[in-house]
Amino acid sequence: MTITWWQILLLTLYAGYQIWDELHIYSSASSPVFAGMISGLIMGDLTTGLVIGGSLQLTILGVGTFGGATRIDANTGTIMATAFSVSLGMNPQQAISAIGVPVASLLVQLDILARFANTFFAHRIDKKIEEFDYKGIERNFLLGIAPWTLSRMVPVFLALTFGGGLVQSVVGVLNNELQWLGDGLEVAGAVLPAVGFAILLRYLPVKKHLPYLILGFTITALLTVVFSDIQLLGENVAEVVENFEGTFNALPMLAITLIGLALATISYKNGQNGKGTPQQTTANTQEESTEGEIEDDEL
Amino acid sequence: MTNSNYKLTKKDFNQINRRSLLTFQAGWNYERMQGTGYLYLILPQLRKIYGDDTPELKEMMKVHTQFFNTSNFFNTIITGIDLAVEEEQGIDGKETVNGLKVGLMGSFAAIGDSIFAALIPAIFGALAANMATNGSAVGVLIWIVAQVLVMIFRWKQLEIAHRQGVSLITDMQDQLAALTDAATLLGVFMVGALVATMINVNIAAAPSIGGVPLDLQNSLDMIMPKLIPAAIVGGVYWLLGKKNMTSTKAIFIVLIVSVALSALGIIGN
Repeated sequence: MTITWWQILLLTLYAGYQIWDELHIYSSASSPVFAGMISGLIMGDLTTGLVIGGSLQLTILGVGTFGGATRIDANTGTIMATAFSVSLGMNPQQAISAIGVPVASLLVQLDILARFANTFFAHRIDKKIEEFDYKGIERNFLLGIAPWTLSRMVPVFLALTFGGGLVQSVVGVLNNELQWLGDGLEVAGAVLPAVGFAILLRYLPVKKHLPYLILGFTITALLTVVFSDIQLLGENVAEVVENFEGTFNALPMLAITLIGLALATISYKNGQNGKGTPQQTTANTQEESTEGEIEDDEL
Repeated sequence: MTNSNYKLTKKDFNQINRRSLLTFQAGWNYERMQGTGYLYLILPQLRKIYGDDTPELKEMMKVHTQFFNTSNFFNTIITGIDLAVEEEQGIDGKETVNGLKVGLMGSFAAIGDSIFAALIPAIFGALAANMATNGSAVGVLIWIVAQVLVMIFRWKQLEIAHRQGVSLITDMQDQLAALTDAATLLGVFMVGALVATMINVNIAAAPSIGGVPLDLQNSLDMIMPKLIPAAIVGGVYWLLGKKNMTSTKAIFIVLIVSVALSALGIIGN
């Protein structure tokens, strides 16, 4: 199955929209998991899109664009990985490692280029101020959106139009001659979220909230085992016993979030009661978070 | 000295908010970052306060294109306080406005980045990603709802900041401290939960001791389930503390090491 022209068109348009959303609106439409959902819908395989988008979302969990730092472009990576995974029947986990991550890090260069291009418009605005050309100021400001969106739309369009053959032959090799590498990339896809979690921990005041890290991990680890064992048990029983009714779901993550939310609320209330102390806690938090923060891809 | 006596109206606030939510960073560049965006947001209002083609307007337009960078979740709070001052004092407020902008942008950037650019995406992104990898799009929709609430918050703050002026900053400090603390607590808790669910790797190696195959994974599970994921995250955390380590480098190191360990048959999924 090849990618049709209207799929390329829609994916290219979305690639342009998502950077604009990321800069201003923050509707979450600029997140990898949303990119996966929309690319999955366009390509006609929602599940594959969600799996790829979800994994890349976790990989960049703690990576923000602080102070104008450029971050790995996981959205565009997701779009391409999903498109090729669905159209060529590539294993989603493999697509994450073999397409998603490399594309995401290559496109960092174009983000930097876009930010440079806008300096040109800033200088034009200086000139327009001298001339009291109000329309000119506004026009030159809004023109900045062109470098931003083109830096995402052009690579997506080119890769989807011309990259299919290349990716197809790579997939062929991964599943035959280089089986070990194909399997390895699959495992790597499963490990990558660890990076996102570790970055996030670097950014958060871990030392201060260490008990809650242990709580979150232990509660969830135990419940995951319980839930998945019950699921397995249910499936096996259903095979043996006729008319066995009963469905078992996986551990609902929302429930875990609610436990966390309750703990956070208790802590917030305690902070409110002890007036005078919050002042000190800010100092601590700020200190620790800046201390733990890592330099974020400032290339 | 200008005494235009122009008072901002609801329409002015709506215009600034619209420009902030849709275009504030369109002109972002390495030299002045959000500088031109700051001017663009309030240009129509500056023209009303100072009058078209006056030297005062030119002066203030130049002031407002200077380097500026803050969290775009809080930028209109600074705009609101700034406009309250300029409305009162006109060009005489130039020094005050400059001081306010430079003084506030850093602290607002820090709070905004940690709550809105890191924590909320981390918590809701994790939730959405978790449900997505199980094939459900519901988590994505929950995140969108949360972001709509954030947008409403961003829309409201300008008018409040303008009404309260400079006194707002001291009022907010106490509350924000407790809130940030609670939010980071939730963040840490959720990372713990994610480590336990989202990294699905096991020990594949099964050495046999004296002819008896040893199920290493099962032995580990008896000590504590999900120890391997915890160890991997701990390892990456340590790696990130190294000098010259960036998140992109870390991603590639993890990629290569995982492929190697898998090829050697030590880990699998």
